[in-house]
Amino acid sequence: MNQAAVVAGEAGWELPSRNRVGMVCFIVAESAMFVIFVVAYLFYLGKSPYGPTPEQALSLPVANTICLLSSSGTIAWAVRALRRGRLATFAVAWGATAALGALFLAGTGREWARLVHHERLTPATNLFGTTYYSLVGLHAFHVTVGLVLLTTVLMLTLFGKLHRRYTEHVEVLALYWHFVDCVWIVVFSVVYVIGR
Amino acid sequence: MEATERTEATGGPEEIEVPAPTAWPLTMAFGATLLGAGLVTAGEVSLLGAVLLVAGAVGWFRVVLPVERSVRIPIEPEGQPRIEPRPPTTHPRIAEREHRARLPVEIFPVSAGIKGGIAGGVVMALTAAIYGVISHHGVWYPINILVAGFYRPELRATTEELSAFDGWALLFGTLIHGVTSLLVGTLYGMLLPMFSRRPVLAGGLVAPLAWSALLYPTIGMINPVLARRIDWGWFLVSQIGFGLAAGVVVSRSLRIHTRQSEPFAERIGLETGRRP
Amino acid sequence: MTGEAAVTTREVEARFWQRLHEWIVTVDHKRLGVMYVLYALLFLLIGGSEALLIRLQLVAPHNTLLAPQTFNRLFTLHGTTMVFFVGMPLIFGFANYLVPLMIGARDMAFPRLNAFSFWMSAFAGLLLYFSFLGAEGLYGAGSAPDVGWFAYAPLTSRAFSRGHSTDYWILSIFLSGVGSIGTAVNIITTVLSRRCPGMTLGKLPLLCWFYVVDSVLVLVGVPPLAAAQLMLLADRFLGAHFFDTQAGGSAVLWQHFFWIFGHPEVYILMIPGWAFASEIIPVFSRKAIFGYPVLVGAVIAIGFVSLSVWAHHMFAVGMSMTANTFFMVATLLVGIPTGIKIFNWIGTMWGGKIRLATPMLFCIAFIGQFLIAGLTGIMLAAVPFNWQLTDSTFVVAHFHFMLVGSLLFTVFAAFYYWFPKVTGRMLDEKLGKLHFWLFLVGFHLTFTVMHIPGLLGMPRRIYTYEPGRGWETLNLVITIGAFFQAAGVACFLVNLVRSLHKGKLAGPDPWDAWTLEWSTSSPPPEYNFAVVPTVRSRRPLWDLKHPEDPDWVYE
Repeated sequence: MNQAAVVAGEAGWELPSRNRVGMVCFIVAESAMFVIFVVAYLFYLGKSPYGPTPEQALSLPVANTICLLSSSGTIAWAVRALRRGRLATFAVAWGATAALGALFLAGTGREWARLVHHERLTPATNLFGTTYYSLVGLHAFHVTVGLVLLTTVLMLTLFGKLHRRYTEHVEVLALYWHFVDCVWIVVFSVVYVIGR
Repeated sequence: MEATERTEATGGPEEIEVPAPTAWPLTMAFGATLLGAGLVTAGEVSLLGAVLLVAGAVGWFRVVLPVERSVRIPIEPEGQPRIEPRPPTTHPRIAEREHRARLPVEIFPVSAGIKGGIAGGVVMALTAAIYGVISHHGVWYPINILVAGFYRPELRATTEELSAFDGWALLFGTLIHGVTSLLVGTLYGMLLPMFSRRPVLAGGLVAPLAWSALLYPTIGMINPVLARRIDWGWFLVSQIGFGLAAGVVVSRSLRIHTRQSEPFAERIGLETGRRP
Repeated sequence: MTGEAAVTTREVEARFWQRLHEWIVTVDHKRLGVMYVLYALLFLLIGGSEALLIRLQLVAPHNTLLAPQTFNRLFTLHGTTMVFFVGMPLIFGFANYLVPLMIGARDMAFPRLNAFSFWMSAFAGLLLYFSFLGAEGLYGAGSAPDVGWFAYAPLTSRAFSRGHSTDYWILSIFLSGVGSIGTAVNIITTVLSRRCPGMTLGKLPLLCWFYVVDSVLVLVGVPPLAAAQLMLLADRFLGAHFFDTQAGGSAVLWQHFFWIFGHPEVYILMIPGWAFASEIIPVFSRKAIFGYPVLVGAVIAIGFVSLSVWAHHMFAVGMSMTANTFFMVATLLVGIPTGIKIFNWIGTMWGGKIRLATPMLFCIAFIGQFLIAGLTGIMLAAVPFNWQLTDSTFVVAHFHFMLVGSLLFTVFAAFYYWFPKVTGRMLDEKLGKLHFWLFLVGFHLTFTVMHIPGLLGMPRRIYTYEPGRGWETLNLVITIGAFFQAAGVACFLVNLVRSLHKGKLAGPDPWDAWTLEWSTSSPPPEYNFAVVPTVRSRRPLWDLKHPEDPDWVYE
């Protein structure tokens, strides 16, 4: 009788997926890190003893923002296609996501090149340069990592290695990408809207 | 857990799948460390670190996908140890039939503590009055000193002034004494069930002694002027008077059962009599 | 004959290399747990030796055993080592070993991430100590880091900290932080998605609950430190100005960032200690834990409150009165759930059949010492008191009561309690009791006495002092106590090594305990459980041992 109490009844025992829980935990940790950089940015806003100031140097990166935010849509579209087993649609949507991400990075690169060459703004110039490059750079680093992962999945798809049973892996990756997008919303509001 | 029950989704009856060992996480960690160490040594170290990092990541990826690599481990022949039922002698019988009881099983109602506090307060006031009369300072002297402990200008007063009647001091003193007595009485009501063997000894002697022993050096440090005015012998007597009166009153009152030891479902009235 | 001997030697050698290889590439949570703990013990010896050197230098006024610079390096490395390379690996080692076994799982949720996290911490520790060799830098300045374990700005800027010693400190802590975050993710995921059937969150062993809260604190506490380290690295390598006061940067911001990590870190280290006590005390009192839901609630409450108390380390820096008051009140609030826990442990022991085996002795001492640590903590939380005693040895005594008197004592208890499970053999009780008494006496000689020179005005981190201030005898006693503690630890190590081969055979369940790890053989097979168990109560083994009086009826 007692042994039966330990063996019986495994049916209906469902636990959260480990990949999803793991990614959520990771995102919590990442958020904590971004919070510190955002706080540093806000804390040092307007404390630079000399220019250039954000008002002089920055302009609204509208195209960039549109790229990154719409990539959240395309990746959701891709995941839905994969869930229904439509691999071709998935490939198109996923490729679009990667392309939009690449466009965003290119836009950031152009902005940085302009800042360095025209505005003479580097991390060593003043507090604004320090906090700006670190916050935007940290975000761009996350976009880069995401882009590498997106490209890997895209390659696997093109070589026909992707299967519906990997839906969960792809979903978790999409979760990360959404997170990166959300961070951009915060960075955008802090750096380009509030800070300018 | 009999051998026949060894049917698991992850393995056959004789083997169990566990994740395969791999050195790629180690490689990746080493790469990451070298990548950082390059900052403080030489660029080449960082380069090597980056190569190892990427190699580790790729290797790791290939272990996990397309299928997680695993190895099959044969089940040890003796299997899992069997847990035998054993006689219920290993656990304490702390209450009648109940080793799960939350101690204390019975408590005094709050009203008992309040009554005890009142009784103790009255006895203490009487003791203090007797002291006042015997020490020839007058019956108002103790309560004036009590107020002086809280209100500094009083401390500078002479003994004659402290012996005289003072309406405000009487009011404040009664207030302080009353509130403290009620609080300490309630505390007695809560603590005495914990010392269920000799409640009057614990409450009437040990607690007053401990309290006096704590106050003697503390008041001496915090307020030496006040300490000089206190007759510590009589102080102790009045404390013991309070303790005995409160202890006797509290421990004489009717105890009530806590329902803490009953199952939660029974306590909230969902089920009754589920216990065997 | 000689040929045969050679063959066997070679065989032995080959077997050695094979086993070493097995351990290095392993992803098994039990082996990784053991490796974490061994690695922590190694660093405990290193950090402990540094403490002994510090105490030897302070044994008498005007002592010249150590140069002031060496003294700075020693206390920096002592703190850094003990927190990041002893405390963290110890708690993660125990978590790795115990959490899957206690929830009836066959491994952690991410076994390879587990290996990665361990090796990150291990290499980070090596990198820190490599600074002794590699940090000379261009200026021939300094070898090991010497900026204190909280490395206040602007001491860490290029101008004041030349060479690479501070960079080694930054990098090694950053890397070990990556490992810690990995393990935290792993622990939470394991508990949430690897529980055996029937183990709802309300039936989770307390240790697992405590470790989940602990890991959440790691997730929100360690990344801020990593972020701050990245900023400092940018300051030192890219010429950024985060903590550069001459370009408008703020040195106080570093303090905020460091303590946003630093205070949760104290709880990250302490919560597993409570977890061990909450598992051990019931078993040695022969009673179920008193107030399981309240304990869980208390530890969650502490987790929350601990995130908003960091600036009580900075009362002396000159914050606004509002900030001081807020952080004082928040800190005092911690006392409530902490008090609840102490009452829970006492309530568990109350009326129990207490067995005074070594694990229980350590736990009982822990309760008292933890209470004192909490009381001095409340004293230090009061702003005016803090202004008087900040940066004195009173503070050092306070947090050593927490980290040694509370954490290390419970860790020792955990060693004596779970060693039979890990090795299949009991630790020797006689040596264990000797260890306990030596360590207890040494601990109080050192840290109880250390409060007094602090009250008399002795600052921490001074390499020597003038005679005639009433500190001499006290410091002598403190140093003597340190050697008592060292003797205790020596007993412990001898016990570990000797019992590994000669200890009494333990069997699967030597303590007549109730959680799932005792239902499998000792040491557990690689797959942990031949049959994945199903549980119905918080004490599944109780239900099996006492089928006529099962626990689940009462929960």
